[in-house]
Amino acid sequence: MGSMIAKTAFRRLCSGMRGGALRFAAVGLLTAALAACSTMPETIEELETARALVPQVEASPRAGVAATYVSDARKSLDRANRLSEEGGDVDEVRYEAQIAALNAQIANEKILTAQARDQIEEAKTERQAVLIEAREREAQRRAQQAEQAEAKANEATERAGTLEQELEALRAKPSPRGMVLTLGEVLFDHDQAKLKPGAYRTMDRLARALRREPDQVVMIEGHTDSTGAEEYNQQLSQRRADAVRTALIERGVRADQIETVGKGEAFPVASNENAAGRRQNRRVEMIFAGAGSQVGHR
Amino acid sequence: MNALEAAARSILSRLLVLGIAVAALAACGGVTELTEERVASSGTAVRQAEQTVGNSESGALELQRAKDHLQQAHRAVEDNEDQEAQRQAHQATLMAELAVSKSQSGEARRAADELLASIETLRREAGLESGDRPPR
Repeated sequence: MGSMIAKTAFRRLCSGMRGGALRFAAVGLLTAALAACSTMPETIEELETARALVPQVEASPRAGVAATYVSDARKSLDRANRLSEEGGDVDEVRYEAQIAALNAQIANEKILTAQARDQIEEAKTERQAVLIEAREREAQRRAQQAEQAEAKANEATERAGTLEQELEALRAKPSPRGMVLTLGEVLFDHDQAKLKPGAYRTMDRLARALRREPDQVVMIEGHTDSTGAEEYNQQLSQRRADAVRTALIERGVRADQIETVGKGEAFPVASNENAAGRRQNRRVEMIFAGAGSQVGHR
Repeated sequence: MNALEAAARSILSRLLVLGIAVAALAACGGVTELTEERVASSGTAVRQAEQTVGNSESGALELQRAKDHLQQAHRAVEDNEDQEAQRQAHQATLMAELAVSKSQSGEARRAADELLASIETLRREAGLESGDRPPR
């Protein structure tokens, strides 16, 4: 009967406790149960408990944190054992055993505390690692999203980038020879044939559209105003047309899609009598004939 | 004959006086100073344990036992039982220490468990954020 109650209590304890505490309580309980059930008069419950508890704390790898209590427990247990062997007073044995058990229990709690604190230290390190991992994952996820967004944006640009649409967006004008896109003087430095960075985006868009339509041919014509020597103006207009060609080839357009010509000052679109007119005359025209058709020369 | 009787009576009465004196001395002398000191210091240990344990559950039972031992130690002092007083005082002190160490280990255990649980939560949340998002 007593042992049954003890077993039930033991099981209940088992489910509620963990590790060292569990084993510790289990041994104590079992000993108590044994002592209670025993019919032998010389069995002293307190002594049995102490005999079970003391070696347990002595065996713990963390016994060092409670060295004094462990050694006090051992001394009292030895005294209790000696008294018991010598047939000494039962009350004396009981008292020494109680002191031994108490010291062992205190030692056990101190060991459990040390173990919990060890665990806390380990957990702190682990927490750092998990935090870093979480941060990395978040960064990865963001990078992935950014990549996807960029891919989508690129796709959208690609889709919108047919030549016809680009020319329309760039305000090209229809003419008998095809669509004409005029690159104003602002895209070149004065008296220079080098494209300004301001023209790069237009070049990007045209190049992309031309790459997608390899049959499309573009005629690039350079024009100047009437200021300066005619010969020089002819050369400058050619170099400007060539600069545009180079920019397109750098952006992957095939060379045989592009023709260039320097027209000098011969084809003004406005009067050379005033500054505004002259500015309009300094230009590069890109003429896009319909795919497959010839680009006519003026 | 009379002289002998008188002598015997005198001896007897002296013995009686001595006996009474010894008994009186034993009764009035009480426990040793060392015992009183030990009982007093176990009282200090119990009060300290009371503060540490406070209202927490772990250590409460041991604290009550420490108080019981202390009470018995005081009673033994009153009854001039020197050894019993020392023993009860020693047990009261150890019980108080057990109460304190139990309360401390319970606290450390709780802190460790909370930390471990927080790490688990962190892990779960991180996993969810990176993996379980619906595709757009």
